[in-house]
Amino acid sequence: MKKIRIGMVCPYGWDTPGGVQTHMKDLAEYLISEGHYVSVLAPVSDDSIRVEDYVVNAGKPISIPVNGSVARVLFGPLASSRAKQWIAAGDFDLLHLHEPAIPSLSLLACSAAEGPIVGTFHVSTPKKKAIYAIGPILEPIVEKLTARIAVSELARSTLKAHFDTDAVVIPNGIDGQKYANAKVNPEYSGPNSIGFMGRFEEPRKGLQVLIDSLAIVARFIPNVKYLIAGPGDSEEFLKQLNPQLQSRIEFLGRLSDQEKESFLKSVDVYVAPNTGGESFGIILTEALSAGTAVVASDIPAFKAVLENGEVGALFKNQDSADLAKVIVGLLRDDERRKKLANNGKLSAQKYDWQVIAEQIESVYEMAIAGGQRVTLSSENRFWSRR
Amino acid sequence: MNLESLIALLLVVLIGWYLSFSASRLDRLHHRVETSWATLDSLLQKRAALAQEIVVKSNLDPATAYLISTSATAARDANLVERSSAESILSESLKLVQNAALDNALELPSELLVELSDLTSKVKLAINIHLEAVHATRNVRSKLIIRLFRLAGKAPLPVRYKFEDDAL
Repeated sequence: MKKIRIGMVCPYGWDTPGGVQTHMKDLAEYLISEGHYVSVLAPVSDDSIRVEDYVVNAGKPISIPVNGSVARVLFGPLASSRAKQWIAAGDFDLLHLHEPAIPSLSLLACSAAEGPIVGTFHVSTPKKKAIYAIGPILEPIVEKLTARIAVSELARSTLKAHFDTDAVVIPNGIDGQKYANAKVNPEYSGPNSIGFMGRFEEPRKGLQVLIDSLAIVARFIPNVKYLIAGPGDSEEFLKQLNPQLQSRIEFLGRLSDQEKESFLKSVDVYVAPNTGGESFGIILTEALSAGTAVVASDIPAFKAVLENGEVGALFKNQDSADLAKVIVGLLRDDERRKKLANNGKLSAQKYDWQVIAEQIESVYEMAIAGGQRVTLSSENRFWSRR
Repeated sequence: MNLESLIALLLVVLIGWYLSFSASRLDRLHHRVETSWATLDSLLQKRAALAQEIVVKSNLDPATAYLISTSATAARDANLVERSSAESILSESLKLVQNAALDNALELPSELLVELSDLTSKVKLAINIHLEAVHATRNVRSKLIIRLFRLAGKAPLPVRYKFEDDAL
């Protein structure tokens, strides 16, 4: 593909950890290494933080609750005029907007621009949630997207339900090699270590389900160790357990990228007990490519990634007794655990950046095939309407 | 100026703005349908040419070769009405080539095979993009205000092709 100028817009605070941000960072860096020019417009909460050279700061985001977590989004006249300036100055061949239906920067950029625009939809929500319920207002804006990408079948059906429009499904990419080659850290590795990672204070991440399973698991496997990684306050969870069980659980706090890689590689079983609200489950694919056996709740997004239990074990959502049964079964049967992990590692190859980025590039290629470039839309160009 | 005339003036301005907004929205969509069709059309032409080349350069049995060759010619010569069915038939017959290649029963320069699978996935994308553009345009054109003020002008209503998705 010929080298082009790509403008990407991030709806959420760039310096806050999150799936969309990680995805965009990896994609931008991959595209740059391929020789494309990439500029990312994103809100940044902390001005003093040094952001990557390709990131353009659009202002400080504000926090609003969305989908069980807090989203840091940015809108308003100032943000809108920054987006317009960025588009006008960028001379882009193509815009790639992430989550353009969330009231944030991507939406502003979409309304201000015209030409080849690709939109990626990450979220899957039930119809008529407040944030998506403004379909009629968004329709003229969302219809400007030349091509749509959904990160999962779920995100695609959300899009269909809300805007009556279809999308190409391209899952989130990961750097599989990084996880496969990570160092095993004895602090995290067995015998019988169970890993969990995420912002565990959010109920939908399901840590409570995992902790409830400990009592049963410890009865069968006394030396089991639950390792919980991620930012948050562990007191709430610890004080409900008796001291004997407390010693079987350890909170590690937030891990650096490198620690995360070796964490996923080192634990014997990785558990994702999320109770819902997930669209894809990138963490599963990361654990899979590290070659670790994965246990996950049977919510639709996880079932899809684990191929209905072929490449990872599923348990009944929110059922900690069932989770305990699955964990004990896997820890006792080394043969089965290794086989599952191996299947998982093979299946995760299709999420590798190499494969994913190529698919995204062909969408770009199709979107720019008309030969147009990105300009400010005619409503914003008073001096020339056409 | 009294209140009624102020409101009336405001209303006229508002309607005027909305009409201009709708007109440029529709104009943009018409433009998009044209470009997305041009892209799709050129990809389909390329595919038909590739099909002919595959027939010449491979050891396909005469029956398959004949089928592919005739459907490629039919797809190239098809008029607007027959186009989508002709292309679908070509897709079906090209599947035979891919299946034969999977069975290792085919002698075919590998770059042709790579080009075929590359083109197939591009055609899929282009169809998706084009159908969306058509869908959005027809959707906007069916709105009352657009029909009332004839904002679509003389632009032809985009055709909704029935490309069989799974056939591709």
